[in-house]
Amino acid sequence: MEIPYIVTPRKDTGLFNSKIAIWLFLASEVMLFGGFFSAYVFLRLGADYPWPERTLPVLPGLINTFVLIGSSVTVVFAWASLKMRKWRHFQIYMGITITCALLFMVLKAVEYNVKFHHQAVRLTDYTVVEGHLGYEKENGEYVLDHHGRKIEENMIQIEASGLTFSTVRHHKPWVEELITQAEHRKSEIKLAADVKGRTEEGGRDDVVIAKAGEPLSLALLAKIREAHLDARAHNGALRTAGLRSEWKKAKTENPGKRGWELASAVNVDVKALDEAKKLLTEFSTVSFKVDPPARFDFKPRDVREGATQSRLRDDTVIDGKLLPSPMVFHYVDAIDFRHLAMKAVEKGQDPIDAVENSWLVQNHAFAREAWEWNKAQVAKLEAALLKDYGVDQETGKPKREPTAKERYRIDWKDFVAKSDGVDRGKGAIAVKEEFMGPDYKGREAKETFPEHFSLPREQVRFASKFTPAWNTYYAIYFAITGLHGLHVIGGALVLAYYLFFGRKMYDSNPEWLANRVEVGGLFWHFVDLVWIFVFPIFYLM
Amino acid sequence: MSAHATSHDDHHHDPGFIRKYVFSTDHKMIGIQYGITAMLFLAFGFYLMMVMRWSIAYPHQPLPEWMSWIFTDNWKARWLQDGKVTGETYNMFGAMHGTIMVFLGIVPLGFGAFGNYVTPLQIGAPDMAFPRLNMASYWTYLLGGLVMCASFFMESGAAKSGWTNYSPLAGFADGQIVNQWLAGQTQWLIGLVLLITSSLLGSVNFITTIINLRARGMTWMRMPFFVWAMLVTGFLLLLAFPPLEAAGIMQLADRVFHSSFFMPSGLFTKSEGLADLSGGGSPLLFQHLFWFLGHPEVYVLLLPAFACVAEIIPANTRKPLWGYKSMVYSVLVLGFLSFIVWAHHMYMTGMGAAVSTFFQTTTVLISVPSVVIITSMLISLWGGAIRFSPPMLWACAFIPMFGIGGLTGLPLAFNLADLHLHDTYYVIGHFHYVVAPGILFGLFAGVLHWYPKITGRYMSSWLNHLHFWPSLVCMNIIFFPMLLQGMAGFHRRWYNGGDAYLAKAADSTNVFGQTVAQHIDMNIWMSMGAWTLALAQIPFIINLFISWKTGRKVESDNPWNATTLEWATPTPPGHGNFTFDVAVYRGPYEYSRPNRKEDFHPQWETPDNSKSDH
Repeated sequence: MEIPYIVTPRKDTGLFNSKIAIWLFLASEVMLFGGFFSAYVFLRLGADYPWPERTLPVLPGLINTFVLIGSSVTVVFAWASLKMRKWRHFQIYMGITITCALLFMVLKAVEYNVKFHHQAVRLTDYTVVEGHLGYEKENGEYVLDHHGRKIEENMIQIEASGLTFSTVRHHKPWVEELITQAEHRKSEIKLAADVKGRTEEGGRDDVVIAKAGEPLSLALLAKIREAHLDARAHNGALRTAGLRSEWKKAKTENPGKRGWELASAVNVDVKALDEAKKLLTEFSTVSFKVDPPARFDFKPRDVREGATQSRLRDDTVIDGKLLPSPMVFHYVDAIDFRHLAMKAVEKGQDPIDAVENSWLVQNHAFAREAWEWNKAQVAKLEAALLKDYGVDQETGKPKREPTAKERYRIDWKDFVAKSDGVDRGKGAIAVKEEFMGPDYKGREAKETFPEHFSLPREQVRFASKFTPAWNTYYAIYFAITGLHGLHVIGGALVLAYYLFFGRKMYDSNPEWLANRVEVGGLFWHFVDLVWIFVFPIFYLM
Repeated sequence: MSAHATSHDDHHHDPGFIRKYVFSTDHKMIGIQYGITAMLFLAFGFYLMMVMRWSIAYPHQPLPEWMSWIFTDNWKARWLQDGKVTGETYNMFGAMHGTIMVFLGIVPLGFGAFGNYVTPLQIGAPDMAFPRLNMASYWTYLLGGLVMCASFFMESGAAKSGWTNYSPLAGFADGQIVNQWLAGQTQWLIGLVLLITSSLLGSVNFITTIINLRARGMTWMRMPFFVWAMLVTGFLLLLAFPPLEAAGIMQLADRVFHSSFFMPSGLFTKSEGLADLSGGGSPLLFQHLFWFLGHPEVYVLLLPAFACVAEIIPANTRKPLWGYKSMVYSVLVLGFLSFIVWAHHMYMTGMGAAVSTFFQTTTVLISVPSVVIITSMLISLWGGAIRFSPPMLWACAFIPMFGIGGLTGLPLAFNLADLHLHDTYYVIGHFHYVVAPGILFGLFAGVLHWYPKITGRYMSSWLNHLHFWPSLVCMNIIFFPMLLQGMAGFHRRWYNGGDAYLAKAADSTNVFGQTVAQHIDMNIWMSMGAWTLALAQIPFIINLFISWKTGRKVESDNPWNATTLEWATPTPPGHGNFTFDVAVYRGPYEYSRPNRKEDFHPQWETPDNSKSDH
């Protein structure tokens, strides 16, 4: 059996099979990206925070645009070479296409990597601080954790004296983590009291499963879990049987009555079961003590911290004092009051007052200085705009005013200008602007960026790296560019397959290979087209 | 065709057990695989529903042993309380019942099984355009289904936020699980993405096959209605599913990367307090993306059933399908309109009058092509010499049952009525009438109709009667009271069937409680109906397997004396399907031509070889 129209087009449709298929597939892809682009519009229009505009480095994006356009041209040359049966030319053009794809992905990877190392925090009053987190130091040396890694100064630190695990829900890697953290702090986690109870029907109710003082281990937890699950299953079956017989009795005693009329009176007599020593002891939690009490570090997202008791997401309860766990920035490269100003306007307050009463301006000397400097600059800018553009006759307002970004966001370029004593827009940038943003390692940077910017934990509302979690802008940015990147990788793999493994088919059936390259090329054009939309909406708008 | 080395050659000679029955690229075997898998999922979805019906009818009584034996003691202790179905378990079963029935049961049965088996045969093609893609499609579907169902055995349990999986509810569900990849809600999303991938591969394959692999003479207007319906279904899957895939990926990101696509600012829950999220997302966006698939999906379910019934009626009335052309145009219009009605599922979100008017108008419009199709089928019966063969029995029941389902949908199209009926049992009654006694009956008809071609034997008519009549009665016992309960205000997600709202005293001033009291006892009858319906499926299962070996053998390759091309193949069709060079000379439903002695004129019979003197 042979499927027709794999190589030669069908006469009445004029198409070979895979050409129809790729166009259908692309239609589906249009709907997929359409879903994401609709999401972009929806999220941007509905954003209840200042949508970050033009925050991505334009130059790498622009280069990528031309890289992709170029590769779309070469892929057509590759196809045409095959049609003309010029294998060597095909190899060259396809090689260029794949190199372009690689270059694209490298630039993309660098761009992503910068984001993943960039920290942002939103304070309770909606002030936003951006920069890079510091690492714990002692006597000028980095403090290392039990893994030998530097400790980021964004951890929740708790001096724990007791730990209570959920026997069924504890997350094993976290338990191991707690054990090693305790070892590192030269402390021990030991069972607080004997775990004992009734383990068989009619048996004694003080059978010891684990003795007080046994050190925490996964095996110990597994043993207690086993006993708990056995007891739970046993008791469940017993109670079910009890309830069943109660219902049977109730129904025979009250013929004609409906279920809901009897329900309140029909219950399983748990107390009687217990007194008959039929129920086994369930151990839903098990408590350990930390001896001596030691400091544990937790990632903020894993723990719900409290002054004396905190809870991990796997229901582990930590008894102990919450240590001051400030969030320390090594370099701050932006202080942003736009969100705060927006909230103030929503509440009918004066945004300038709100900024000046914000916790940061009130409590941080550097922030206050920067804000005062910025205010003066904005005043100068306002005057300059008024001078250049004049006043609108109808409204009586200046034709052009500083943007919200200019008014409320103080970023690293401003810090540099401030330290250099130059006016906004006129000073040369002293910090070398690297391809993807400021150069943090340069000598100048150290003098202009505020170091060790410490924010108390209770002021932090939400913190994240520049990942999809930070806000819906980054979420949709990563979603669309990530999906596009996967398409680039997928397309490049297919094209590379034709390049490296196509020779055999070229020798036996060159037309078929040409068809495949044509189809692959159509997909490649689509990938390029998507980028043509992605670039303006994320990099320019 | 040019000669070239293909991998298909090795299929000719004894492909071996694995290649023939497991990793088969033959569209017929893949169709059968789809069919069996889908029926297993349907049975599982049915079971979940039986447990739910217990909770609704007898919320205070332990689940009886004949339903709970399937669970381990440990599972029971985790998910039942003193043997009673808990609200959490009910939610889980409800969400998975819907998901399984729609995504893993009906669609794969209608489109995957019937579409795969019958479409290439009906257009005279040797196989699908991309046989290996076809195989990939099946295995991706199976993997997606297993991933979803495996989550029943995880600590988190399976997904539990409704089959619609609305955020932010779905975004928070299972949030306590540290490794989110092993949470039921996440598994649901992964399964969904796999299922969408599967249907993408399938639909591309179907459409390409129909466009490019039609036999000589098989012009568009000579295609059986079945093929038209599959073509439109293919386009619906191709274009409607991707936005849900986008939504699935975004919700997945919300779960594992803690983004806030669908999570608004300031979310506060009892267990977590103020959510540790950036917020700023839009729950409404999820609903839009979901229903952009969700509504075309209704027609993805429905069209294969239409397709089967439209083939069975002419073959059993011995007259052409009435209004073939208008049915074809209707199904195309239906396909198009189904893309612009989705927000009628969202009237409760408080959309503006202009938007709501638009969607009310399109929704009412879409009933026109549906009614054209169903009316054409009804008129096709008129004046026919009806053979009440086993498939015809189901096809005849399909028309009124689907009619009830369709017409009860009209009040839901209007904002005014929908605001009252939204999320009540009325909606459940409406769409179950469409899907269960409607679509499923159509698909049962299809099984009986093509079974002789697949196996070379008829299914037992006696067992079929034993299956059909109780099913017809039970379906109505279950679903008709739902319409009444719904109008009385019964909410669709009450796990205890309204017990919590009941006014127990006859003189209570609680008006709603009194209404609930008047309707709550229906629950018991409906549940009894549901369990009896389960019993009624046993004859079918027996029939399906017993007849394979012991059924009455077919007398010819065309046992129903039908006209379409699948009956021109050997029984069962071998690899490559046709043993002669297929050409088509006439339309698909040439029955009872006055100038012919025989009451059917197959599409493949050459005109000069006409057997009018036969």
